[in-house]
Amino acid sequence: MAFKLTAADYVEYLEITAVEIEKSGDYVTALDAKTGDGDHWVNLNSGFQKVMSIKEELKTMELSSMLRKIGMTLMSGIGGSSGVLYGSGYIAASKALKDVDVLDIESLYTMLKAELDAIMDRGKAQPGWKTMIDSLYEGLESYKKAVDEGEDEKGVMEALKLGAQQGRDHTKEMEAVKGRASYQTNKGVGELDPGAVTMCIQLECLSDYVINKAL
Amino acid sequence: MKKIMNQADNVVSDMLTGIAAVNPNVAYDSEGEVIYRKNKTEKVGLVSGGGSGHEPAHAGYVGKGMLDAAVAGNVFASPDPARILNGIEHANSGKGVLLIIKNYSGDIMNFEMAADLAADFDVEVKKVIVRDDVAVQESTFSTGRRGISGTVFVHKIAGATAEAGGSLDEVAEIAQRVADNVRSFGVSLSSCILPGVGAPGFVIEEGMMELGMGIHGEPGIEKITMKSAAEIADIMVEKITSDLDYTGKEAAIMVNGLGGTPLMELYILAGEIDKRVRAKGITPVKYMVGNYMTALEMAGASVSMLRLDDELKEYLLAPCDTAAWKEGV
Repeated sequence: MAFKLTAADYVEYLEITAVEIEKSGDYVTALDAKTGDGDHWVNLNSGFQKVMSIKEELKTMELSSMLRKIGMTLMSGIGGSSGVLYGSGYIAASKALKDVDVLDIESLYTMLKAELDAIMDRGKAQPGWKTMIDSLYEGLESYKKAVDEGEDEKGVMEALKLGAQQGRDHTKEMEAVKGRASYQTNKGVGELDPGAVTMCIQLECLSDYVINKAL
Repeated sequence: MKKIMNQADNVVSDMLTGIAAVNPNVAYDSEGEVIYRKNKTEKVGLVSGGGSGHEPAHAGYVGKGMLDAAVAGNVFASPDPARILNGIEHANSGKGVLLIIKNYSGDIMNFEMAADLAADFDVEVKKVIVRDDVAVQESTFSTGRRGISGTVFVHKIAGATAEAGGSLDEVAEIAQRVADNVRSFGVSLSSCILPGVGAPGFVIEEGMMELGMGIHGEPGIEKITMKSAAEIADIMVEKITSDLDYTGKEAAIMVNGLGGTPLMELYILAGEIDKRVRAKGITPVKYMVGNYMTALEMAGASVSMLRLDDELKEYLLAPCDTAAWKEGV
């Protein structure tokens, strides 16, 4: 089976994700209070809620402009550094998918890779620095490896999810290089990075959605 | 906490409303939290901004000969790219826009994102990043030196260059030259209180002062016992001149209050600074003494020294008419 997601499908995936993000509030905030400002979840959640408030409009748009609109909405809705990073990611995805109208196994990778590159570039950060990048980076490495090894699409989606979870878990032992946790004497070692946790939720939802919807 | 305000959530918009009410030359775009010049002329546009709480920076520098738009974030937080894009649109007259950014990772990300968005609309944007605080070690790994009060010299000289008809490349080049030739160092005597928080985030005990604290209360180099004005001037001039050689040069010198220090003390400090720079063979051609880039009600001061060449000096002394800096008007 081969999946093909439309813009409306993508919005449906975001609806599921927004619910999961909302449910993660207490956990993520408690984690963030240990290493950061404690405001990551509140900001991210309000960004996703803002996207949900325009979901009907998003469903009618073509893929590339929809991604741009999501980026602009997350940018102001989340605010601060996370807002501009998610905004940069989605706007880069929009540019990368200029003439594409559905997400399949190839264009979904293109989209996620454009997001990763944009977030790394905007944040001037690398994998291994205890950030949201770690979930996305390891998820995509695992995605690519599964494709190269000839896994079927369901296997590729499972690999994406597993890689993202491993990336998230690896942040526990990493030292923070940027942000508030980097000012702590232990650099946040021993705690998961809240940004990696919420990024992982989104990738888990994406993987589950694609599998349930089309595979 | 005792502050003259209405709701803590509204301090930024209430302040900008006040700024626009009392200055006939500027207007307030409440959608984008932007203060901009009412009379737009055909020239390179200058935009600066950053978190609020540093007044008169940056809205106080909007006007003829300096900035065209200042974008305000919440207290001590960068404005988001949509707001900055608004500022760019207000400043753009078709000749391009220069962004003057203080070196903080949040400001850099948001201003660069706004520049990318502006490029999508075919607005030519360049940027200069100010990193004048010698208290922080330069590093390629971390964000590096912070931008503080020396930024005001960039506004002034780039503004005069743009007013004189300079191209975007010329304005950007001279702005970079100012950034390269300005150094600052600050000392803090007390903490500050964010309106939304209500209590100081840290304490500097009676009889103590902190060297090199940032304008958001970021940790400095060290906490020491309170010193005399003469001893503070010794430290400041030493820190600055050991980082950049000013010997035999002319300089513009700003003695900047952080918000909670009386002018009396700033003039005492300025007098001590003056003795020391002259003893080092530096000729001050322009002094600015007052509150130019503050940290709410923090007590303390920073000194910024700009090493001048003939061109920088000419534009430094060119006329400008803003709320916080008037020259030759």
